[in-house]
Amino acid sequence: MENKESTQTQTFYSDKLKRAMHLLLFRRGKMPGAKEWEFKEKIGKNYEQVLEQLNQLLSELDLEIKKVKEHTPAYATQNEIPTDESRYYITLKGTLGIKEAKMIGWRIDNLAALAAAVAFLLSKQGKAPREDLEKLLSNKFGRWKSVTLVDIFLRTGYLEEDDAGVMSLGWRTQSEIDLKALMTRMAEVKL
Amino acid sequence: MLSDSAKKPTLASGRRELRELVDTCDAIADRKFNPFFLDVKLGVETLRQFFPLWKTFEDHCMDAHTLNRLSEVVRLQNTQLKFQSSALYADPEFIVRKVEHMSEKRLVEVLLQSWHPLAELEQLTEETVTHALSYWDTLLPIAERWKKRQSNEGKAPTSISDETLTGLGVHGEEFNKQINRLYEELRIACENGKAADYWTFARRSTYQETVHRAYLISFLITYGFARLRTEDGNLSLIPIDRPTGKAAANSISFPIPVPRSN
Repeated sequence: MENKESTQTQTFYSDKLKRAMHLLLFRRGKMPGAKEWEFKEKIGKNYEQVLEQLNQLLSELDLEIKKVKEHTPAYATQNEIPTDESRYYITLKGTLGIKEAKMIGWRIDNLAALAAAVAFLLSKQGKAPREDLEKLLSNKFGRWKSVTLVDIFLRTGYLEEDDAGVMSLGWRTQSEIDLKALMTRMAEVKL
Repeated sequence: MLSDSAKKPTLASGRRELRELVDTCDAIADRKFNPFFLDVKLGVETLRQFFPLWKTFEDHCMDAHTLNRLSEVVRLQNTQLKFQSSALYADPEFIVRKVEHMSEKRLVEVLLQSWHPLAELEQLTEETVTHALSYWDTLLPIAERWKKRQSNEGKAPTSISDETLTGLGVHGEEFNKQINRLYEELRIACENGKAADYWTFARRSTYQETVHRAYLISFLITYGFARLRTEDGNLSLIPIDRPTGKAAANSISFPIPVPRSN
């Protein structure tokens, strides 16, 4: 009897694990990953336990589930209910080498510019006028390239720009980059 | 800024000062200046100084708006203090200097050590399949598309050698010989002093030969070996005794279509 029950529990969980994995991996809207309410709806109240178990499995593959709190957009009206929900993603647990980064479609100078842009915005408490950012990048990468680079980062979600032309860190930076580690490494670099 | 108005506060100077104060607060909110650039206490004192002068409803609204902007600056100052005490704090000038002096490779290494890219899969959805099907339905067969490409895309301009041009009869010794031979032929045809009929002179048994002679005749006319005369719709050629061999400055273009039928 006990054996039967444990088998049922196991099957039940593996089914939930599969569903959670599908939600995390397959993109349904504009952004990858899945929101809390999606897990609640598809998996049930115990979704956090399921994600924890899935995370253990993924860690063996150098992957991990990351929870990122979504902020209410600045342009939201007062009548709108703030979406204080979290989104879950699967990210690489470790880090990539330069060759691997190239293989997944990134140019080295673009990555260098991304590092500079993120570090600069962080030093400005996460916000700075677009002109200031372009000026910083143009000193290193040239005027025209800097404009293109900022557009690329906006398109890919690493940066955001509001109507006043103020740049801020995008959802992808929050999800993918360990900001503390980045600033520590920047500080450690000897000139 | 405040010293002049402190001596003699007027309504106009008060309104101006408040506008400047609001502009400064807005610039700080847009991250153009450091929040501590503005002395908030001085701003509040300015408000207090001009408050008794306000007369209209707009003045009081402006006063409230300025106070609201000042409170935003205080909020930003608070955020900055919290940020400076966090592990993320770095002086912007310090970061700018680092970025300028670091090599691209070093910057990439710094990023890669803190970068954990997302893993996701792209897949077919009902919407993408619908789009794909409608695209497929409107897509022309490959042969049709290639036809379109060939007609649209001309060959890129290339250079041509003198030998090739001579071989094609465009210029060179052979071309000059042909022109001179035709000129002599025209002189003989006009020995009786009458003009030679253009089509009698140009037409030959095959269409290809006729076109070739018409082509050479055009050079005779252009370079002053012969003159073309039009009379009642008839074309005639008259050789020039002393050809100049140069194109006439005031020459006009006169297209003559060569019909296929005789």
